[in-house]
Amino acid sequence: MRAGSDMRHVTLKLMREDLPRASLALAELAAFAPDERPLLESELPEIPGKTFRARMRRAWGHLDRLTSVLGELPKADPKLSLPLLSREQLVEIDQWLADAWKHCGPCEEGLHRLEDEFRELRHLEQSLNDFADLDVDLSRLQGGQGLLDIRIGSIPADNLSRLRDVLALSNHMILNVSGDTETLRVVIAGGRADAAELDSVLLAAAYQPLSIPDSFDDNPDALRAELLERRQRLEQELAQWHSRMQDWLDENGSQLLQARQLLESAEPYVHLHGAARSRGALAALQGWIPGSRLAAVETKLKEELKHPFVLEARRPRTDETYLVPVPVQNKGIMHPFSVLVQQYGVPRFGEFDPTMLFAVTFAGMFGMMFGDVGHGAVIVLTGLVLRRRLRSFSYLFGLAGASAMMFGWLYGSVFGVEHWLQPLWIAPMSDPIYMLTVALGWGVAFLTLGSAIAIINRLLSGDQAGAFFGPGGVLPLILYFALLGGLINLAQGQGFPMVATAVIILSLTVLIGYQWQSSDAPYGERIMITIIETYEIINGYATSSLSFLRVAAFSLNHVALSLAVFTLADTMGTVGHWVVIILGNLFVIVLEGFIVAIQTLRLEYYEGFSRYFYGDGKPFQPLRVGRTQTY
Amino acid sequence: MSRFTDQAYIRTRLAIMGTNLLNREELSALAALPLDELSAASGFEEVTGINNAARLATFERVLMQTWLDELSALLRPLKGSARRLLTHWASRYEVLNIKALVRGKIGQLPNEEIEKSLFRLPGFLSLNHDQLLNTDSVTELLRQLQKTPYQRLATQALRRYEERPDPFLLDATLDQQFYGELIDRAHHLSGTDRAEVLNLIGRIVDRHNLVWSLRYRFNYDLQASEVLYLAIDGGRVLDRARLQEILNADTLADAFGLLPDSLPCLREIPHQITLIEAAMRSDLLAYARRAMRYSPSALTSVLSYLVLRHGGISALYTIVHARVHGLADELLQEALDPLREEAA
Repeated sequence: MRAGSDMRHVTLKLMREDLPRASLALAELAAFAPDERPLLESELPEIPGKTFRARMRRAWGHLDRLTSVLGELPKADPKLSLPLLSREQLVEIDQWLADAWKHCGPCEEGLHRLEDEFRELRHLEQSLNDFADLDVDLSRLQGGQGLLDIRIGSIPADNLSRLRDVLALSNHMILNVSGDTETLRVVIAGGRADAAELDSVLLAAAYQPLSIPDSFDDNPDALRAELLERRQRLEQELAQWHSRMQDWLDENGSQLLQARQLLESAEPYVHLHGAARSRGALAALQGWIPGSRLAAVETKLKEELKHPFVLEARRPRTDETYLVPVPVQNKGIMHPFSVLVQQYGVPRFGEFDPTMLFAVTFAGMFGMMFGDVGHGAVIVLTGLVLRRRLRSFSYLFGLAGASAMMFGWLYGSVFGVEHWLQPLWIAPMSDPIYMLTVALGWGVAFLTLGSAIAIINRLLSGDQAGAFFGPGGVLPLILYFALLGGLINLAQGQGFPMVATAVIILSLTVLIGYQWQSSDAPYGERIMITIIETYEIINGYATSSLSFLRVAAFSLNHVALSLAVFTLADTMGTVGHWVVIILGNLFVIVLEGFIVAIQTLRLEYYEGFSRYFYGDGKPFQPLRVGRTQTY
Repeated sequence: MSRFTDQAYIRTRLAIMGTNLLNREELSALAALPLDELSAASGFEEVTGINNAARLATFERVLMQTWLDELSALLRPLKGSARRLLTHWASRYEVLNIKALVRGKIGQLPNEEIEKSLFRLPGFLSLNHDQLLNTDSVTELLRQLQKTPYQRLATQALRRYEERPDPFLLDATLDQQFYGELIDRAHHLSGTDRAEVLNLIGRIVDRHNLVWSLRYRFNYDLQASEVLYLAIDGGRVLDRARLQEILNADTLADAFGLLPDSLPCLREIPHQITLIEAAMRSDLLAYARRAMRYSPSALTSVLSYLVLRHGGISALYTIVHARVHGLADELLQEALDPLREEAA
């Protein structure tokens, strides 16, 4: 259960010529995460592949631009073995892609130009429609007459207010605004005397004048025909561009695909960065591999590499604790829980991996708060029906629903009805105090377990003082038990035992002493820190224990909500009764189910993880085939 | 976290971070140190690189990273519109990157050269620089940018660039869009935060508007109405009418005569745009210092801190850069504080 305990640090000593092949082989196994520390810098001062990396980057740039014009390329068959990209091939591919872009680049330009022309045509058509009902000769209006300066055109919608304000300052105004959220058609009018400065402002406002055809005034039908002809011409041109690109793709598609595949095959090599070092013909590669994959890695390298190699593996050193990447459990039933754990953090190397404990306690607490055979069955069914959409999270639905069903049997509850099933344990409403006591007991057990894990984690990471005196450590735990025992005795009317009092005083004294010792602040601040820290430890345990009362409270809440649904349904007629029952149950499942899930997560994260889980580990991200990382 | 605890967290954080701020005297003292002592004091000696240019580039990134780490710590308790405002403020570095990319493309510089001048920002702010570098022209670059969260900014810039491919017009458009959105986000804040933040941003916008409007009008000879169109809305003192009055002046000297009395920092300043800029900057920093400590809006205090911190970091970089390149003491002091030199 210790996170990453299987990880090994490896150094692969090989011939430089074999580096690309080795990186591809390692990426195919997805078992190697590079370590970029300059551990071998003195023996192997060079980082190979700098020119190769720059060339790859350029080639990808060309390919990206091509796919942005030609559309996404089909995915390569993953079963096909990947070829290895040589330096010479890369130069060739880069050049070929650059030439291809020279051919396709104008297509992109042409498409943008056509897009602009279509937009202009659309504006023209719309503007002419706007003015169709007016008996005005727009072509004579454009530019104005005599003392009047008039312009007709379009501007980006965002610029209207600013342009209106600035034009007002030069005695012009904007009339007749129409258009959409992006572009507005406007008529600008003002005195000719103030028009001199207008051009530069309009340019800054991205104003585009409307070019009105001569035929507008004298023959509207001819104009419509002219616009239609223009549209057809543009559409024809667009089709030509598309056909030209399709022809190119038909002719060169397979070569383009091959180029992408070759570039992808070199990606692992490019992403080694400082993890690979070399001197002359010799090279070395260092990184992390799970111990269980070492044999497979060695076999694969034997198959793939041309020259002999040496693979050395060792356990991580204590000074590498923070550097060792930890594989996150991400398959099967544990996957959704591992995702939720990672929302909080990745386990640090060597610390207790809480995924399994989280899965069990999450399901347990959810079931206890939401115990109902019927509602649990609906959750399980939802997980099954939506399994394609929910993917691995359907397991979470299944487990949480099953737990709710199990507690439903224990509580004797089916869709909120409590007389269909004999409770195997207890109906929550029959003894709320007992339920609260059970929840408190569960809380104490959960916190004790959390503290035990925290103590182990700290001891494993060499933090002995933290394990004994820190929050959740041995001494605070003893103090907690003494307080708890004393209070239980007191509640039973037997007074606060002397032994508990003595243990509390003793542990508090030691804790205060420890806090005092660990601070090097001035006296006043030191007193404050000691008081606050000690109070925080006691208060933390008290509030956390009480926090678990919500487990019982929600189980009672579930019964109360169901009762409310039945009471409301009883006030209705037959149809209304069933409508309320169905909708009420849906309401309980969706809303209460959601709230209970959040409360359970809160207990796990806040009362559990914050106590024992460092969560500052580094996820194991192995080299993979394909373009998975950026430069 | 409650609103009360959020405020307490931010105030405590700011109180601690405030000790990192460098005042004018501390900067002058640093500027007076010999290079080896300055390197030790500034952290430059820990930066490695193949040559001084590479070390300086790394040093700049380290300083930028410090600023971004502090920003991340201050962002933590903020939610909703306050968080969006600060995130947008941080994105000004990506706007600077876009400007550098545009300038590089106009100057047809090799990608490696352009890349050296780019800030590396954290993922939530950063664009795919590779994709932007791999473009043949400014138009293509802006079209690529349209496919990113900076779409609104890119669309405006592209339209203006297509109409008139002037680099300074593009710069002005990018600034206008950036500040426009910042002010828009500030208007979404509630109560005290809105008024206080708008007051601070208004000062920044005033400085930007006055300095750049004077430059565009009297150094680049743009038409007054065009300059007015390029100005940013949301200034505290300089509204559009007041700016128009200044820009309609025939000469720079006449324009100085029309500067408003409500900008007291400009009263005794000789008539030079660089000195106006320095005076307004000094006024802004003094205001930010006050706002950081006494503003009733924690968000304004945070924004003020970030403005001050950035000022300090930039000055520190300037000092190290100048020392590494052996710039004369006088020139360095003048670059750091042009007003003091003028007064002397």
